[in-house]
Amino acid sequence: MEREFAVKAKGVIKSYDNNHALNGIDLEVRSGQVLGLIGPNGAGKSTFLQAVLGLLNTEGELEVLGLDPRKERHKLLQKVCSITDVAVLPKWMTVEQVLQYVDGVHPRFNLEKAKSILSKTDIKNNSKIKTLSRGLVVQLHLSIVMAIDAELLVLDEPTLGLDLVYRKEFYSQLIEDYYDGNKTILISTHQVEEIEGVLSDAIFMNQGRIVMKDSIDAINERFLELRPNQESLERARSLNPMHIRTELGREVFLFEGTGIDKLNELGEVRPPFIADLFMAIMDKTKSEGQG
Amino acid sequence: MNTLVTLIRRELQEHKVGFIYAPFIVTCVLSLVVISVYFGLTDIQTTEFNFTTKIYENEQALEWMATADIEQITAVMRSGLVVLALPILLTVAFAILAFNLSTFADERKDRTLIFWRSLPVSDLTTVMSKILLVTLIIPLIVLPNIILLHLISLLSASIYFATNDIVPFGWVWSAYSFTDWFRIIFSLWAQSLWSLPLMAWLMFAGAFAKRPIMGAFVPIAVVVVLEGIVFKTNHIFHFIEDRLGFWTSGLPEQLEEVRVVDVSDIYLMFSTQDFWIGMALSTLLIGGIVYFRSRNNDYSSE
Repeated sequence: MEREFAVKAKGVIKSYDNNHALNGIDLEVRSGQVLGLIGPNGAGKSTFLQAVLGLLNTEGELEVLGLDPRKERHKLLQKVCSITDVAVLPKWMTVEQVLQYVDGVHPRFNLEKAKSILSKTDIKNNSKIKTLSRGLVVQLHLSIVMAIDAELLVLDEPTLGLDLVYRKEFYSQLIEDYYDGNKTILISTHQVEEIEGVLSDAIFMNQGRIVMKDSIDAINERFLELRPNQESLERARSLNPMHIRTELGREVFLFEGTGIDKLNELGEVRPPFIADLFMAIMDKTKSEGQG
Repeated sequence: MNTLVTLIRRELQEHKVGFIYAPFIVTCVLSLVVISVYFGLTDIQTTEFNFTTKIYENEQALEWMATADIEQITAVMRSGLVVLALPILLTVAFAILAFNLSTFADERKDRTLIFWRSLPVSDLTTVMSKILLVTLIIPLIVLPNIILLHLISLLSASIYFATNDIVPFGWVWSAYSFTDWFRIIFSLWAQSLWSLPLMAWLMFAGAFAKRPIMGAFVPIAVVVVLEGIVFKTNHIFHFIEDRLGFWTSGLPEQLEEVRVVDVSDIYLMFSTQDFWIGMALSTLLIGGIVYFRSRNNDYSSE
């Protein structure tokens, strides 16, 4: 039976001393979603993902693939795969040893599939991981993950420290070869612009709270960015944009819920980049807080 | 079961230098020394220990060899072989000490803990695999080295005795009991169980302390000193001292006064309170290791 929700969180709180790393997270992630967790450092993204993986005790209700992640972590990890920073594969191991190890401990790992994926790369089975370049280690880690028949994939800053080429390669390989529409993927990264093309949904987090959650399609319908012509500047301003920023000396207006037809007359219109939208929402939240 | 085998195999792959290569190299060096002595290339003579063929120039020694019965020869040979194998055991003991201190600290330090914990292996299974490795598996790995050293020593001695017309070639072999191999392995297992509280403590220190060496030794030193000052006793010090010694210290006290203890007395160790105090302490420490390992999630990027 197909599960409707991969993750259900209600009032999830995680406190360290007097600080709330998670401050009442309510979230439902449908099976098959590719959800991006977007937010600054300290927003609670990694904390939430760790809670999903059963690595942290939290207050509130949290259910992952129908299981309590903290109490049934062992059972959960048979259905969940995670990459938290790619540079954590044991350097002393050879490629063959790490494959044999995962094969020995993971009931859903397909050794033949992993070897077949690796055969298309420059990675040799007898190479020690410490001799592989960072890019190859990423490929190896991804090959392992792709050979695991998991229902949920959790990626917490998976490409931290990688150069642009490898980051792009990582995500394109992930979506082209791994994502089949049934698997659920949770991704947290600072390089938002690199993942927005692969996301189906996004949540914006700040100070342990979710400040916005929606599907990418809905976000693109709801928010529009306008680069007005010089003569339309005042008209654009009168439409009450939610945020204005300056880009190369030119003002860029962000509108929420304003019809595209109305904006098209005033200049160049397109959906905002997720990162820009996030910054705008943060600025708005801040100014509302001050007001 | 497959998971446990995989975990133990991983540990052996990671620590092959300490657990496999080092004892084998020591065995080879000792074997070369034995061969050199019997072939007249060298002598070892210290105030504590003599290993030389010069003793066979002594009339009394030759007479003893000609007249001793099998049991006497076996006893002498057995004690000689035990002493000979001590460097192998010390090497492994040192490797185990280093392993116990570092195994849970290193995985935090190099962040491989993140990878290990991303796979469906419980902390308890991981900890138990390491305990099984040091108590059950390492003795099994050490055993072939000791057997190899025994066989090389016996062969060298037989050739020496036969070629020098001291005793016939088969003299040594007739007194060597191949059942001693079982005696050795059971003795090593008994030793592991006897020393388990210390091994578990070192692992525990590695699991909770940023500096495992400090974490292992400073609290012990403090507690020993405090016990001395407050209670004027030294039970903790003696407990540690005992566990550093041979497993025979775990046998009922009066036994040694009656007769020489033997490996067949191991079962008597299970009847002592001391042994079970050690096992209870080990269980608590293992629980502590699991607890601290499961809480080591400070690798968050935020």
